[in-house]
Amino acid sequence: MNPLIDYRFKKSLFIMILPVAVLTKTTISTAQIPAPPQQHAVAITGGTINTITQGVIEEGTVVFEDGLITAVGHGVDIPPGATVIDAAGKYIYPGFIHGHSTIGLTEIVRIAESTDLRETGNINPNIRAHVAFHPASEHLPVAAVHGVTTVVPTPRGSLISGITSAMVTDGWTWEEMTLREDLGMVIEWPSMGDADQYRKELRALHEAFDKVRRYEQARSAKTPFHHPFDSRWEAMIPVIRGDMPVFIRVNNIRQIQAAMAWATSEQLRTVLVGNRDLHLAADQLAEKNIQVMLTGVIGGPARQWEGYSQGYTTPAVLHNAGVTFCIAGDAGAASAYRIHHHAASAVAFGLPEEEALKAITINAAKILGIDDITGSIEPGKYANLMITGGNPLELMIRKEQVFIRGRQIDRQDKHKRLFEQYMEKHRQKQTAK
Amino acid sequence: MVQLRFLLLVFCFSISLQTAAQTARQTGLRENTPAVFALTNGKLVIEPGNTIVGGTIVVRDGIIEAAGRDVTIPPDAYQVDITGRIVYPGFIDLMTHYGMPCPDKDDHHYWNPQVRSHYSSAEHFRPEREEAAALRSMGFVVAQVFQAHGIFRGKGSIVALGEGDAARQLIRPDISHQISFRPSDDLGSSYPSSAMGSVALMRQTLLDAAWYIDAHEHYRKNRGIPRPETSKALNSIAMARKQNLPFVFDVENEHWFLKASEIANSFSLNAVVLGSGHEYRRLDAIVHTRLPVILPLNFPDPPSVMSPEQEMDVSLGDLRHWYLAPANPSKLSEANIQTAYTSYGSGQRFLSNLQTAVERGLDKNVALASLTTIPAKLAGIDHLYGTLETGKSASFIISGADLFNEPTAIEAVWVDGIQYRVREVREKVQGAWRLASAGLLEGATITIEGDDNRLRGSIRHDDNATRLTWLRFDNERLTFGFPGDSLGLEGICNMSATVRHNKMLGIGTTGNTGTFSWMASRDEGTENANNDRKKSSREILDLPVRHPGMAYGIPGKPVQPGHVVIRNATIWTQGPGGIMNNADLLVSAGKIVSVGHQLEVPRGTKEVDAVGRHVTPGLIDPHLHTSIAGGVNEFSDAITSETRIKDVIDADNVWIYRLLAGGITSATLYHGSANPIGGQNAVVKMRWGQLPADMLIEDAAPGLKLALGENVKRLSSRYPNTRQGTEQLIRDALKAAVEYRLAWQRWEDNQHGLPPRRDLQLEAIAGVIEGHRKAHVHAYRQDEMLMMMRLAEEFGFTVGSFEHTLEGYKIADELKEHGAAAVVWSDWSSFKVEAYDGILYNARLLNEVGVLTALHSDNTQLSTRMNWEAAKTVMTGVPESDAMNLITLHPAKIMGIDHRVGSLEPGKDADFVIWNGHPLSSFSIPDQTWLDGRKYFDREADKLLREEVNSERAMIINAIIRKTHQSTVNKK
Repeated sequence: MNPLIDYRFKKSLFIMILPVAVLTKTTISTAQIPAPPQQHAVAITGGTINTITQGVIEEGTVVFEDGLITAVGHGVDIPPGATVIDAAGKYIYPGFIHGHSTIGLTEIVRIAESTDLRETGNINPNIRAHVAFHPASEHLPVAAVHGVTTVVPTPRGSLISGITSAMVTDGWTWEEMTLREDLGMVIEWPSMGDADQYRKELRALHEAFDKVRRYEQARSAKTPFHHPFDSRWEAMIPVIRGDMPVFIRVNNIRQIQAAMAWATSEQLRTVLVGNRDLHLAADQLAEKNIQVMLTGVIGGPARQWEGYSQGYTTPAVLHNAGVTFCIAGDAGAASAYRIHHHAASAVAFGLPEEEALKAITINAAKILGIDDITGSIEPGKYANLMITGGNPLELMIRKEQVFIRGRQIDRQDKHKRLFEQYMEKHRQKQTAK
Repeated sequence: MVQLRFLLLVFCFSISLQTAAQTARQTGLRENTPAVFALTNGKLVIEPGNTIVGGTIVVRDGIIEAAGRDVTIPPDAYQVDITGRIVYPGFIDLMTHYGMPCPDKDDHHYWNPQVRSHYSSAEHFRPEREEAAALRSMGFVVAQVFQAHGIFRGKGSIVALGEGDAARQLIRPDISHQISFRPSDDLGSSYPSSAMGSVALMRQTLLDAAWYIDAHEHYRKNRGIPRPETSKALNSIAMARKQNLPFVFDVENEHWFLKASEIANSFSLNAVVLGSGHEYRRLDAIVHTRLPVILPLNFPDPPSVMSPEQEMDVSLGDLRHWYLAPANPSKLSEANIQTAYTSYGSGQRFLSNLQTAVERGLDKNVALASLTTIPAKLAGIDHLYGTLETGKSASFIISGADLFNEPTAIEAVWVDGIQYRVREVREKVQGAWRLASAGLLEGATITIEGDDNRLRGSIRHDDNATRLTWLRFDNERLTFGFPGDSLGLEGICNMSATVRHNKMLGIGTTGNTGTFSWMASRDEGTENANNDRKKSSREILDLPVRHPGMAYGIPGKPVQPGHVVIRNATIWTQGPGGIMNNADLLVSAGKIVSVGHQLEVPRGTKEVDAVGRHVTPGLIDPHLHTSIAGGVNEFSDAITSETRIKDVIDADNVWIYRLLAGGITSATLYHGSANPIGGQNAVVKMRWGQLPADMLIEDAAPGLKLALGENVKRLSSRYPNTRQGTEQLIRDALKAAVEYRLAWQRWEDNQHGLPPRRDLQLEAIAGVIEGHRKAHVHAYRQDEMLMMMRLAEEFGFTVGSFEHTLEGYKIADELKEHGAAAVVWSDWSSFKVEAYDGILYNARLLNEVGVLTALHSDNTQLSTRMNWEAAKTVMTGVPESDAMNLITLHPAKIMGIDHRVGSLEPGKDADFVIWNGHPLSSFSIPDQTWLDGRKYFDREADKLLREEVNSERAMIINAIIRKTHQSTVNKK
């Protein structure tokens, strides 16, 4: 048979059958539907609960109502009418927090139109990430079903890139998904490759902070003169007052020490974001109490002579030196779901497992300033948690159920949806034979 | 005094006498100054190893009439006393661009402008006064000249470095060819854009040259057949091969040296290699080629290590090369490699580098031979140049001292009987002087150091000493001053003297006396002490042998124990044995003997206890682009099936070691995805430390990379710009390959017409159609994969594999039916539009449907953790053992190496990994990686290796800092 005719025939057959299949098979659903707000109390019983902050509770119970955890432990009262989920033999962990992602701000990397990461100009402190957070991004449900309940979409690329916010990964609008806005200001430490360019950019950074101080002083002074509003400097006031931390992206030891020295002299609350060379400054970071957000633990050494495991061992080095750090993994939107992989790989190279878990839960929450509402399983915090059949750092382990602010989320992310859709195609082919 | 006059006098005459061609028309008055000289009382280095002290050399009309101790001086000879001078045979530089104008870029006679083999250096040669003087100042009297552009650079000629007509200076016109692996981007061609493209063009051109002769032969003998093209370029290559002219290959490093040898062997070329200075790193293999080498003395500057950051950015490879490069010439000499030195690459530092090479063990006689007799022989001028023997050209060097110790000692160079002054003989003031007839300063010593324009010095009298506060030396007059009170005199002392022939004649003043006169002469005792100090300033470092010569390089192949047994492990056989608990793996001579429980082993078997650990087959990544030298894509054309990755494997890539540390033992290296039909892939084992050729798995299935989708249509300037066009272009190429085979078939049947030309591009494509070369097709979307399968079916072949295959799950049944394998990522998606539908369940669905499925990385870093990639598929529902197949047995099948590797079964290669836990756990990493029954990676050994790397780096860095510091101090 002419293969071309055969091909057309098969295709038309396929087109005819598909609508029928969609109507008859209820397993194939369309896009993931955000869950409604929690209406009934939920109690998860019988599982091993790793609270992260309050130890591990075997065969314990977690209760949450109105999105908040109300009780954790043994012999907890289950409210009447509560939905009880039997988690015997299972494990309960807090949801993971990805502190430094492009998720929600980019859909397809190569398509500029689908990306909102960098505003023009170099001083963009007034840019606020969450107002462009795309609730319909296909990457969000993927992150959610793999236990990543909180993400921090991060503007980048300019000297002062903008302000981050913490978002949950399930919801209808950015407004509803905003967990806490205005967490910190992102600074890209200028590249030191070209001395003149570096001097120029550094001066721009110094000037910006200088101008904010002038602005703040003039605006708050009681004088007959009027000083009009300036969106950039207004946005930076919380930073110079120490109310908002700066997240400084650094890439080598010179940048690290330059950023540390500058931030200390400016008396800023500082988080260094990076990985490369941070191990060289571990003791200084600990002494100056500067926090670290590690990007990409999984990666090759920066230099030919460095050991093959250089990047992987940084978390262990920081931990041993007493640095407070969290792990954010790589910033890709599609890969936000596997932040636990970065944490796990640090364990493979010497970080205690419990510290790896903290690095993507409570320590991330602390560094982001959201540890009062999430990051551990404690009464009063949001019920952002997951039920698993094993260690959630293990790539082999599936997250069986995920709750975000008490809402049990739909597991029908794009991957699952397409998988089921094309398994159906396969079944039809088999039947046709 | 005699010497000085001599040098000046001789320079002035005879320019017109011998530099014009004999046939040149004489105008004006004739000059007939006789040209007969006798240089007497010199030290004559007749040839390497034959030196005559107090000898005389007689030159008549540009020819050495006699040279020796008991030479009768002809009565008509002009005698010059050269006492204290050494005469060496003039040097010969076989690699220069001297006198070569920039070629006309449109002057090419082959379709590709990089092929300029017709270029005649003899025709274009124009003597350049300053360039010649520069070469002469380093002692060169003869050079081989090549133009500098293209891959086939055309013909080289031997020229003398005197002044005057080109016709007069040309010694042997067009006697060699040069080939470079680097295309010139100023020739206006885009092809080739990669190193593998250069090699491919080289091969095809050499084949075309052979065809050219054949085609013209047929044309001459037969009427009524098409006229073959007329190409000076192809003709030139064919003639050169017929006359066995040398082809000088310009190579970038030792690996390209070996590649040059391979090409020369396959085309029976008489090859000479223009070396790189890196030969010492793979000396055994270089020796094995038996090729003569034209060797640059291009020793690197010390890497910049003046801050900790700079230190961190310097690789051990660069540090080692800084220290080891100056020993390269002596290493080649010890290995008996025929070597001629060239100033190419070192420029004016040639002589000082030569001195450094001598300090680093190069025998002076060998050095001299490499500059005289050896190049003379290679250039076919050994009857004319290279020694001071009677009858040869009077082309020699007159040096004030041993040239191999004093690079600045050359005073004059004679070329074909004409003397060219190299430098003015200036008085030297540096050294120690003792004052005499100097009144209060009687017996004082002055020490002067530094360059002429940056002198510094001190004066010592009795036990007091002080620095000279100013110091000038100009036109033989030395002027200096010092605080007199530090030597017990009054006030400031101001002194000056004329310096000539190791004597000073001066005057001086002090704060309370009038003018006094003084004299001084050399203070020999102090002089020698200075020299000793200079010599001892060079540090000897003891660097271990490393292959490759960089961080984590190893001394040699890891040991292969006769028998080795891995005991008490959980063994993932990926074969019929399944996963065996508490099992043993027995290996003999690099092959697996058995897997089982409590195995009986031969006496002397090496035991490895792996209790609590897991053993899997070595992991296999079926798609990588690492370790490819000179570009991953030949993107200048849409069809580049003539390119071969195996031509450009970079064995000196530290990632090979890192991949071993991640458990990878084999991989496919691919051409990139820029072209609908890319290049031929290479299947390699990670045999760290060995040569590129030794990494290849020779019996792997040959393959060809094809590519569909977005990447190939990205260039708006070329066809295709659509997926439809991609289909048409591939179809067209397939058709052409079919026609190609038919044309050959017809030719073999009836020998009618012109003989067909061998076309390496179409041969590779024909191989795919005929089924002995696998098509590996980069594809994302289901439509393009379906198109490719139908196209393949039309031509009667099966697609070997789709690579990336993001939408493979959408056509799993079709893939299975066709028989194509699917090589996929665990979870990459959304980086471009065609990747938007990539899903985590891709591997699971494909595997479940029964498509031969493997995981790949396409990314060197990712490739170091393929066990974790497999673990991700377990999360989507793939059984653990199947997940392991995705990174072992399945890729082995796809690459056609499953008879060798991919599972732990008797008879297969002993490539395996010992894991510190469950191999699919996110917490597990390899403890050991074995390949061919040799332990290539060991976590414990790695720790030691790191310490070694660090201490070796520190040692060399310290040496550089000390050296730099010393020279800074000296300059002050």
